[in-house]
Amino acid sequence: MKKFAEDFKYLGHVIFHPFDGFYEARFRGKGNLLLVALIFLASGIMNIVSYQYTGYIMNDNAMFNMNSVTTFIFGLFPYLLFALSNWSMTAIFEGSGKFLDICLVLAYSLFPKLVIDIIVVIFSNIVTEEETMILTAVQMIGLIWFCFLVFSGLCVIHEYGAGRNLAMIIATFVAAVVIIFLATLYVTLVEKVVGFVSDLVTELAKR
Amino acid sequence: MTKRILAAAAALALAFVFCLQAVPAMAEHTKDASYIYDYWGSANKSLSAFELSTSITYEAMPDDITLSSVDDVNVYNGIIYIVDSTESRVNVFDSDYNFLDSIKIIRDSDGKIVVSEETNKQMILSKPEGVYVTEDYVYIADTGNSRVLVLERKAYGEEAEEAEVAAEAAEALEAAEAVEEATIMLVEEDGEAVEEATAVVEETIAEEVEEEEVDHLSYALVREITRPETMVGDTEFTPSKITVDNSGRIFVLVQNTTEGIIELNSDGSFSRYFGVNSPSVNLLDYFWKSIASEEQQEKMSKTYAAAFSNLQADSDGFVYAVTTDTSSEDMVFRFNSNGENVLRTFGYTEQFGDLPSMDDSSTTSTFTDIAVNDYGVYALLDTVNNRVFVYNFDGNLISIFGGEGNTKGTFNTPTSIAWMGNNLIVGDSSLATAFIFTTTEFGDLILDAEKHYFEGDFTEAAELNMQVVQMNANYDHAYVMIGKNLLMQDEYESAMYYFKLGNDKTYYSTAFTSYRNEIVQKYFALLMIVIVAFIVWVLWGEVKFNKKQRELEEL
Repeated sequence: MKKFAEDFKYLGHVIFHPFDGFYEARFRGKGNLLLVALIFLASGIMNIVSYQYTGYIMNDNAMFNMNSVTTFIFGLFPYLLFALSNWSMTAIFEGSGKFLDICLVLAYSLFPKLVIDIIVVIFSNIVTEEETMILTAVQMIGLIWFCFLVFSGLCVIHEYGAGRNLAMIIATFVAAVVIIFLATLYVTLVEKVVGFVSDLVTELAKR
Repeated sequence: MTKRILAAAAALALAFVFCLQAVPAMAEHTKDASYIYDYWGSANKSLSAFELSTSITYEAMPDDITLSSVDDVNVYNGIIYIVDSTESRVNVFDSDYNFLDSIKIIRDSDGKIVVSEETNKQMILSKPEGVYVTEDYVYIADTGNSRVLVLERKAYGEEAEEAEVAAEAAEALEAAEAVEEATIMLVEEDGEAVEEATAVVEETIAEEVEEEEVDHLSYALVREITRPETMVGDTEFTPSKITVDNSGRIFVLVQNTTEGIIELNSDGSFSRYFGVNSPSVNLLDYFWKSIASEEQQEKMSKTYAAAFSNLQADSDGFVYAVTTDTSSEDMVFRFNSNGENVLRTFGYTEQFGDLPSMDDSSTTSTFTDIAVNDYGVYALLDTVNNRVFVYNFDGNLISIFGGEGNTKGTFNTPTSIAWMGNNLIVGDSSLATAFIFTTTEFGDLILDAEKHYFEGDFTEAAELNMQVVQMNANYDHAYVMIGKNLLMQDEYESAMYYFKLGNDKTYYSTAFTSYRNEIVQKYFALLMIVIVAFIVWVLWGEVKFNKKQRELEEL
C-alpha cells in the first residue's frame, strides 16, 4: 500500500517531467501496473460520466441512446488498439518496450487528461454558450498534453529518437487499420461458418 | 347460455362504442399520422395538420370546357385561378369551388376580341404556365406565345356588389356635379345653356352605364408584354412562372435559364436579372479541373448556375424561389431587393425537405413550387416523394403531408401549391385535379400560434402552443416558442425547462445566463466569504512558508 502511494506520488512527477519520469518508471521500477489498470478503469468510467453529466449547453449526446457498457468499451478500445498495434510494430523494429510498458505510458499519459476532463465536466454545468470556448480550449490543452506525454513516453521506453518514433507512430496507425480490417474479416467469416453450421443443424433437425 | 352470450355481446358492443368515443375527433377525414423531424434528425410521429377535404376536377367544369391539366394555382381574395396548360385556359373558381369563368380568348375593354395587327390573328392563350393575381390585374405567363398578358381583374360576389355600389355612388356624385355645373352655367348664361347642361348630365350618366357594362365583361386586356427591347443576355423570353411584388415590379421566371429571374418594371420594360443561384462546387471536380489541360477542360461539363422552378413574392416585397436542381447550393431562397438570399434557417436542420437516413436511401428533396402566406409560413412542394413540407418564418418545420400514390391525399405529378386562407391548394397535372387541403384542429392551432408569434404576440402564441403540445408531445418547436414567452417574462428557470424540451441550446444559454446571474446575486455574500477565505488561506500559507524558510536560513 505504501508502495502504491509512493508510485501515485511519482505519477505527479512523471506528467511534468516525462523523459525523466518514464525512464524511472520503466527501468527503475517506479511504475505501478495496478495504477495503470486503475487509470484505464477510471478513464472508461469518465467516458460514461462525461456522456451523461456534461452540461446541457455543451452536451450533444442523445440521452435516450445512452448505453454505459458501449460507452465504456468504445472509450477504452482506441488505447488498447494503439497499444497492441504499437507493440506489434515496435517489436519488429527493435523497440525495447514491452506491451505492458506501452500500456503504462498510455495510462500515465491519460492521467492529466482525466483530471482536466473532470474539471471540464464540472464547469460545463455553469457556463453559457459564449464561455464554452474557454472549456474547449482547456480540453484541447488536456489533449495536447496527453499526446506529448505519449510521444515522449514511447521515445523513452523504446529507446527511439524523435524521428524514428514519429515514423513508428504513423506505422502504428497503419497497423491499427490492418488489425481492424482483419478483425472484421475474421468476424464475418466466423459468422458465415456459424451460420452454415446452424443451417445444417436446422435442416437435419427438421427432416 | 343464450343470456350469457347476449350479455357478452352487449358488453362487447358497449366497449366498441366507448372505444369509438375514445378516439378524439382531431381530423375529420384523416386517420393516419404524419411525421416530423426532431433535433436529432429522426422522424417522429406527428399529427396531421392538413387533410384532404375536397378537390376541383373536370366535374366542376361546365359541359363545353374540360380540365386536362393543372399547372399553376393562384388565389386572390378567395377566388382560385387555375392554369390549364393543355387546354390553354385559365379557369376561375370561387371559394366554394364552383366554376366562374374561363379565360382563353383575350378581349379588350370594349368586349371585342383583340386582333394582332402584325399577324391579323385573334389573341388567344397558348400553353400558359403561370398566373398571378393582384388587386388590379391578372398576370398570365403565356408561355407558348412568349409573352406576359396583363388583364384587368374581375370582381365577384360581395366584392363585385361593393364595386357596383361604389360605381353607382360615383355616378350619382358625378351627376350631381354635372347638375351643379349646369346650374352655374344656367346662372351665367341662361337660355340655351339649360339644354346644353341637361345634355351633359345625360351624357355622363350614359357613359357611366356603358363603362360599368364593360367592367362586367371582365378580364379586359390592359397590356401585352413581349420581350423587352432593352433586355440583355441569352435568355429566351418564354415566361413560365410569374409574380408581382407590392410595388408592381414583375418577376418573370424562364425555365432552364442560368441568368436568374427576369425583373421587369410595372410598365413591362426590362429592369435587370435578379437573384442568380450559385452552384455548389464539388471539391473533387475542382481538383480534376485544376490539373486538366485546356482541351480536357473544354470537354468537361460546365457547372452552370441552377435554374429556379418557381417563385412567389411575399407581402413585404421579398421574392421566394425554389429549385429542382440538386446541384444547387440552396434549395429555397428568399431574395431581398439586392438579390441576396436572406432566408431564415433557424430550424433544427438547415436542409429542407426529407433528411437522408441510414435505412432509407431517399434522395434530397427538390422543390417545384412554394407558397407563402401573410405571416411568413411557407409550404414547399417536393417532387421526389411528392410531399408538402410546411415551414414557419424562422425555418422551423411545422408539418409534412402528402406522398406519392393514387390514394386520397397523395399526388401523382404535383405542379403547384397555393394558400387560400389557412387552406392549401395543391395542383396535380397528370390527375388534372386541384386538391384542397383544409387544416385539422391541430393544424388550426399551430398556424394560429405561428401567426401570433409572427405578429409578436408571444403570450397568445405560448398559450396556443400549450394546447399544441398537449395534443402532440413530439412537436418540439412548440416548446421553444413557449420558452421564448417565459424568457420574455423573466421566468428563466421554467424557460430553461422548455428550451431543453425543445432542444434549443442558444436560447437555453440566454435563459441560463440570466438564471445564473440571479443565483449569484442571491448567494453573493456567501460566495464572497468563500472567496475571501480562500485568499486568506493562500496568503497565510505563504506567510507560514516564508517564516519557516527564514527560520531555516537562520539556522
